[in-house]
Amino acid sequence: MLLLLVALATLAGCGDNLFPSGEDKRPPVQPGTTGPAVGQQAPDFSAPDTGGAAVTLASALAARRGIVLYFTMWCPICDSHMSNMRSSVMPQFSGVGFYLVDYVSGAAAAAGSAAAAAGYAGGGFTILADVGQVMLGSYQATMGTTVVIDGSGTVRMNEDYQNGARLVAVLGGLP
Amino acid sequence: MRSSNLSRTAAALLVGAAVLSPLCAWAGSCCGGGSAASLLVPKYARAVADLSFDAELYDGYWNFDGDHKPDPPDSDLKQYRLNLGYAQRLARDWQASVTLPYVWNENKYSGLSSGTDGLGDMAVSLWYEALDDESAWRVKNARDLIPAVTLGLSLLLPTGISPYDDVKSSFDVTGRGFYRLDGNLIIDKTVQPWNASLALTYGTYFERSVNREYGRYVEPYRKQLGDRFSAVFCLGYRFVLGTAGDTLTATASYAYLHEDDGSVNGVTDTTTGFEKQSAGLAFTYANLDRDWSLRAGWNHAIAANGWGRNFPTTDIITTGVRYVFR
Repeated sequence: MLLLLVALATLAGCGDNLFPSGEDKRPPVQPGTTGPAVGQQAPDFSAPDTGGAAVTLASALAARRGIVLYFTMWCPICDSHMSNMRSSVMPQFSGVGFYLVDYVSGAAAAAGSAAAAAGYAGGGFTILADVGQVMLGSYQATMGTTVVIDGSGTVRMNEDYQNGARLVAVLGGLP
Repeated sequence: MRSSNLSRTAAALLVGAAVLSPLCAWAGSCCGGGSAASLLVPKYARAVADLSFDAELYDGYWNFDGDHKPDPPDSDLKQYRLNLGYAQRLARDWQASVTLPYVWNENKYSGLSSGTDGLGDMAVSLWYEALDDESAWRVKNARDLIPAVTLGLSLLLPTGISPYDDVKSSFDVTGRGFYRLDGNLIIDKTVQPWNASLALTYGTYFERSVNREYGRYVEPYRKQLGDRFSAVFCLGYRFVLGTAGDTLTATASYAYLHEDDGSVNGVTDTTTGFEKQSAGLAFTYANLDRDWSLRAGWNHAIAANGWGRNFPTTDIITTGVRYVFR
C-alpha cells in the first residue's frame, strides 16, 4: 500500500514526461539582440584551439558561409553524434567550419589529448577548449548541443543533435 | 548555466537499463531454490518486498564503432540507485510487481563536478506462471526436467527526470522520458543444488512529442527510441551452511543488451542505438525458512573492443535484502 501511494505521488509529479506536449512554446526573439536563440546575433567568443591559437567568432566565420559548434565531453553519445556528423554532414558542406567545443578538459593541451584519445584529432574538426565553460554558458549549451551560425553572425540553429537531418537542412539553407 | 553530461549516457541510458538489472536475484522458483532475473513471488508465498542499492562506477565506453575508449582524464563518474520493489500474488498463477528507483548522479571532470538526485523510471509488471518447476529435488525421468516458465508484461513509466524536463543541467537526468512496453520470458530450472535461468525481454518504446531540451523550448518534433532486446543467463550453485539449513547461493551470469536505432520525425536516428555485454557474480544468503535473504553482486561490462557499442562500460555493485510474505 505504501508503495502504491509513493507511486501515485510520483505519477502526480511527473507530468512533463507522462503527458508530453508537442506545443511550440519557444519565446519570440527580438531581431538584432545578442544571444544564443535562433534569430539572435551569436555571442562573441574567444577560445584556444589545440595548438593554443585563439579562435574568435569573427575569425571562425572569416570567408565561410557559416560554422557549426558542437559541444562535446567525449562520451559515447558525443561520439555517435560526432561520428555521424563527420561521415554524413561534413562532406556535404566544404564551406562551413566544424568546431568541437570541449568544455570539460579545461585547457588546450588537455582538449587535444582528449580529442586524440577519442579519435577526433585531425579529422576535419577544429577542437576548441572552452576554458571556464564560457561558451557553454553564453550559448546555453550542454552535451550534444549543436549551434549553427551563418556568415553574418546570426544563430540559425541551437538544439540537441539528433540524426543529422535538421543540421543538414539548416546548413543547406545558409546563404 | 546549462551544463554538460556524460550523464545522458551515464544517467539516462543506464537508468533505462537499471530496471532490468543483469544481476540475478534469488527467490524465483516454486520450491524456494533457484534464481530469477526479476522480482517474482515464489509459488508458496503471497508477496515479496525487495530493497536494493546499486553503485555504478564508470570506466570508459564503447564508441560508435565498438572500440573501447577511456573516459577523459581526471573524470570520475558514479551513479547510485536505491531500488524499491514489491510483488504481489494475485491468483495461483498470476502476480504483479512494481519497482521504483531513486537515483543519485555524482560526476566529476577536470572542469566540472555535479551531484544531483531524483526519481528514476518506474516499472509495473504483470506475470503469468505458465509452468511450474516441480522437481527441484530429484530427477527420475525426462518430465522432471521441465523448467518453470513465466511470462510477463512490463510497462516502463517515465517518472524519472529526462532531458525534456525543465532541468538546468543534463547531469540532472535520471530517466529517458519514454514509455516502454516489454514482453518477458523467464525459464528457470533447479536441480538441487544447481540452478539455471534464462530471462529474455523484448521491449518497444512509444513515440513521443518533444518541445523542450534541457529546459529550453525547441521546435517541436516527434522522437522514438529503438526496440530493445535483452538476454540474461544465470547459473547458480547452492551451498548449505552448517546444520541449521541456511544457504548461500553463488550465481554467475552473462547479460546481453541491444537497442535498435531510434527515429526523429519518422527518420532513422543512427546515433541512439547501442549494445552491451556484461558478466556478473552474485552471492545470496537465505535463512532456513527462505523468508529473509541478503545478496551482494558485481556486474562487469566487458571493457574491450567488440563487446559493446555506443555505451559506457561500468561496474555495478549491488547489495539487497528481500522478504517473502507467506
